[in-house]
Amino acid sequence: MNATRYLPLFLTMAFVGAPGLAVAESLVVNSYGGPYEAIIEERIIEPFEEKTGIDVVYDAVGSASQDYAKIKATQGQPGFDVVVMTASQSLQGCKDGLLEKLDAAVISNLGKLGPSLAAVAGPCGAVHEVQYMSLLYRTDKLPSPPTSWSSLLAPELKGKIILPTFQNIMAVFLMEIMSVARGGDMIDHIDPGFDAMAELARQSIGFEQSSAILESYIKDGTVWAMPFWNGRAQLLVDLGVPVDYVRPKEGTIPLIATLNVPVGARNKQAAMAFIDFFLEKSSQEAWVTSYKVGSARTDIDIPDNVRKRQITTEADLKSLKLPNLSHVAEKLSEWGERWERDVVSQAN
Amino acid sequence: MSTIALTAPAAMPPAPAKTSGYLVLAPSCLVLTVFFALPMGTTIGMSFTDGETLAPTLAHYQRFFSDGLSLAGLYRTTVMSILVAVCVTVFGYPVAYYLARSRSRWRAVVFALALAPELAGVVLRTYGWLIILEDRGFINDALLNLGIIASPLPLSKNLFAVVVGLTHVILPFGILSLTTSIQGIDPNLERAAQMLGASRLSVLRHIVLPLSVPGIVSSLLISFTMAASAYATPALLGGARFKVLATMIYEQVLFYIDWRFAAVMAIALLLMMLTVSFLGIRYETRRSNRRTNSEGVFS
Repeated sequence: MNATRYLPLFLTMAFVGAPGLAVAESLVVNSYGGPYEAIIEERIIEPFEEKTGIDVVYDAVGSASQDYAKIKATQGQPGFDVVVMTASQSLQGCKDGLLEKLDAAVISNLGKLGPSLAAVAGPCGAVHEVQYMSLLYRTDKLPSPPTSWSSLLAPELKGKIILPTFQNIMAVFLMEIMSVARGGDMIDHIDPGFDAMAELARQSIGFEQSSAILESYIKDGTVWAMPFWNGRAQLLVDLGVPVDYVRPKEGTIPLIATLNVPVGARNKQAAMAFIDFFLEKSSQEAWVTSYKVGSARTDIDIPDNVRKRQITTEADLKSLKLPNLSHVAEKLSEWGERWERDVVSQAN
Repeated sequence: MSTIALTAPAAMPPAPAKTSGYLVLAPSCLVLTVFFALPMGTTIGMSFTDGETLAPTLAHYQRFFSDGLSLAGLYRTTVMSILVAVCVTVFGYPVAYYLARSRSRWRAVVFALALAPELAGVVLRTYGWLIILEDRGFINDALLNLGIIASPLPLSKNLFAVVVGLTHVILPFGILSLTTSIQGIDPNLERAAQMLGASRLSVLRHIVLPLSVPGIVSSLLISFTMAASAYATPALLGGARFKVLATMIYEQVLFYIDWRFAAVMAIALLLMMLTVSFLGIRYETRRSNRRTNSEGVFS
């Protein structure tokens, strides 16, 4: 091939095409696949593109922890501009200097979030969704709904419960709740929590990490009760699976999902606009009613049947137990080793 | 008298310059430097530094040797890899022998079947084993329905499940390695032995097996290193109760975000694999040297 023959064509493309590419603004948003992707595309991304003219490229690869590892490995330049993670990663990323601090002067809707939840996520995370750890149970197997986390220890549930692995943060939260219920606390005096989890391990059929596998056990009736995020629990209810979920009397800990911007993001301005749009009242209403989760905004208007099952009011927010996630992160290694020794060894 | 015209001999091709040899090696050296040496150097550096101050420290190594869980993970990894290497070689040998010696038209079919598992991804194949082995799986379901057992057999979330899954994943590599080795053995040796009255079993034991030792060692080493570094199969089939170093490294990187301790685990895993590879290669080299020397005595 005579390369020089095509040189003028290449040069023309380079000079004409490149500015065109640079002008078209596009935003790379990294989050989850599955039902999440379909709902966010329809209820958030498409309206955002219509309103701003900014083209959004959706990247569904990776879980929150994998995304954070990517941000860390690339020193804040992972190739996406906005990422959906959790409050734990928001705090860690801020501490490591890998995530942008979000400014309420630029993202005006940040000021509309409940201050207690916003504080848990720290200055680098915008709370766009709140789920809570619920107690999911089979309505066709249990004569009456459980009311307490201790119900998991009932004799009729022997061999009928499953637990998340320690690497699923739900396990840590369950241990903290059990610790408080038995006279301990969520960080320093956690021994009662470990004792309770050892009892639960003896009661369980074992451990699973992924939510998808956990839910398969309750779907097919192998398991009759287990802790589960209420958003996914509601999706099972909507699918017609004979299950329901409760917020037990001891209270619960929320899973706080955040929008974050890596420090090396290429389109920071568009990223901030996207976050502001996601936190708008109408967007939050759309998100809460579609994805069946709670919101850190208490001024949203949603149907009563949705409101009563989600975290949406000041009273709901006050009822949540909010552990200091930075302290939890510091304890994770120590707790993880103890979990392997004291809890996993007790499983059947 | 005829004369033979003497012509100058054709010029010999010039000996390749040393520099051209280096040039040939350069691309692979570059690739190894960029994709192996540099990341490995970074990993080693991380393992010896403090996460906050970056000061030199042995704390991560002290933790590895003192927490009990890490050494248990190393032990489980070693046992699992040895079992997988043995299973792959034992199950792969008859198939490899058939492939190397058979002239049947079914040979191509067997060859395709032996390699077929590679057409599906590791995760897919592992989920297949999960469906077969787990408490609610095919085997337990069938045995429970037939009334043979009262409660599910512990076929998953343990060493057994991981060895079964990994043997299936790695078997094609063992078969390929063994087939190549057996094909290199002169078939006339086997024919000669049989003509002199040796049984087929005797031929296999005294001729084929000893001559295929390089292939056996190669199969054991390939299987061992692949099993030791495997992540997906141990993660899915081993679960929370059977953790190997690869799954523990993943947890340290993604969940605990402790990359320095993960680096120590990765180095321990690498050293374990290098030690086994070194021992295997040294055994084969010594054996080969002894054979060459004994042949030299009689030649």
